[in-house]
Amino acid sequence: MLKLIELEWRKLERKKVIGEVVIYWAILMFLPVFFLQVVFADMPEVTYAESYAAMMKLMLPIQMGFLLFGASLINHVFIEPYKNKTMALFFGYPLSRKKLFTAKALFIVSAVFFCTVVSFLLSGITTYAIDLAFDVIDGTPTAPDLMAFGVRTIIHSAAVAFASLIPLFLFGIWRRAVIPTVVCAIFLMQFPNFLGLLRIALNPDLLYALLSVLGAISAYLSVKLVNKIGDV
Amino acid sequence: MNAIIQTYGLTREVKGRTIVSNVNLNLKRGEIYGLLGPNGAGKTTIMKMLTGLILPTSGEITLFGKKLAEDSKESLKRVGSIIEYPLFLEHLTAMENLKIHCEYLGFYDEMAIRQALDLVQLKGIEGKKVKEFSLGMKQRLGIARAAITKPELIVLDEPTNGLDPIGIKDMRDLVQTLNKEYGITFLLSSHILAEIEQMADRIGVIQQGKLVDEFTLSDIRQRRTEYLELVTPDVRRAAVLLEQELQIFNIKIVQDNRIRIYDANVSAGQISRLLVSRDIELEEIQKNTSTLEDYFYNQIQGGAKHAKAD
Repeated sequence: MLKLIELEWRKLERKKVIGEVVIYWAILMFLPVFFLQVVFADMPEVTYAESYAAMMKLMLPIQMGFLLFGASLINHVFIEPYKNKTMALFFGYPLSRKKLFTAKALFIVSAVFFCTVVSFLLSGITTYAIDLAFDVIDGTPTAPDLMAFGVRTIIHSAAVAFASLIPLFLFGIWRRAVIPTVVCAIFLMQFPNFLGLLRIALNPDLLYALLSVLGAISAYLSVKLVNKIGDV
Repeated sequence: MNAIIQTYGLTREVKGRTIVSNVNLNLKRGEIYGLLGPNGAGKTTIMKMLTGLILPTSGEITLFGKKLAEDSKESLKRVGSIIEYPLFLEHLTAMENLKIHCEYLGFYDEMAIRQALDLVQLKGIEGKKVKEFSLGMKQRLGIARAAITKPELIVLDEPTNGLDPIGIKDMRDLVQTLNKEYGITFLLSSHILAEIEQMADRIGVIQQGKLVDEFTLSDIRQRRTEYLELVTPDVRRAAVLLEQELQIFNIKIVQDNRIRIYDANVSAGQISRLLVSRDIELEEIQKNTSTLEDYFYNQIQGGAKHAKAD
């Protein structure tokens, strides 16, 4: 399976994908401070700058931006091969479609997980560096803060990685449509904000768990039903 | 095991429409088998099922004596194919494409890749991206990919489509070389009759998803008959006269002004004298030989309905 996952990476237009990731990293690493200093500058009721522990609450939803990267990978790994028919080429190899699709889904999960972890680290380092230079957050990060950040990075990155598969079954494999896949990812990114606008209070951890489960279900259906709806 | 492919009742339906119906194929080791049929007859669908790209609605495929199913595709390791047109990851180089192909097959031998490129005269361009290749080059690269692992069977769907005359000849020579020198069995499809006639040892005629006939090249030679073709504006009167006066019954009206006479005992002179004496204008009369094209025309277009013979 590892070999199949590696082949998915080698089949991609790697420079394009790496360029895309670098842009995500470059944007997301500055977003926490940007929100603090620009968006919430005139909102004294927002308390993210009170401590590093509070700041972490802002950093978590920002990394949901990698759902968009997941949608992009769904496009590169599933939709484009269907559209240019190279999927047929890979169906002709002596491996089952289920195995091929499992490898593709695992590749997306792994790539999104890895990139989100790196993004968390870059955001954390950048935020800390800017704080050192301009003193934007009260206090200094404590050992429990760093520990919590490490744990959150892993758990939250896994949640983003699984949630990024939500559009896979319906829009990636069934409809094979790029725009709905991307729109779905944007909607999911903004989902916590929509809940806030609708004044629906939902525990963020519960929300991320729910999105992860939906992503896993979408991946399961994609693999399970590939023989029925997967023909090129 | 002499049979390489065997299908039993192979059927494919899409949205209630039968694309391939109850096809029983049998390919022998070492032969070049041609599937002949008009566009939309079901040739590509049959090939897609044989190479595991799509699944049959019903029926069974046996490759090298083993049943081909979605969860048992091991026998595809012994098959190379190009279905519809040569598909590649166009943003990658020829070499990268071939390496990925080999890794999917669990086979890796860079020397074999270079030999395959050499075989199709693509040596030296392995570092070039496939999107920069012409169709002819892609076809040759497709053959190289199909041949790298020295498969026992190569399936080529319309291999000469879109190629110029030199490309067509190269493709034909390549198929024959691989068949004769490496003993590779080929399954080809085409709607170009002369093309398949020049390459295949045995031909299966596909019409509306059904295998309606199978024959060898020697069958074709036997079926090849000489006939007289005459052109006259008054085909009906001419046909009646030929029947009544010369007792020629094996006649076929092929167009509004063309009659074919398959009776070898009557000469062109006898016929022209008769028609001229009865004041029937004769524009042309000549001796021809029926080809696979005529046979195919009869099979596919229902030429028999024009037949007046017997």
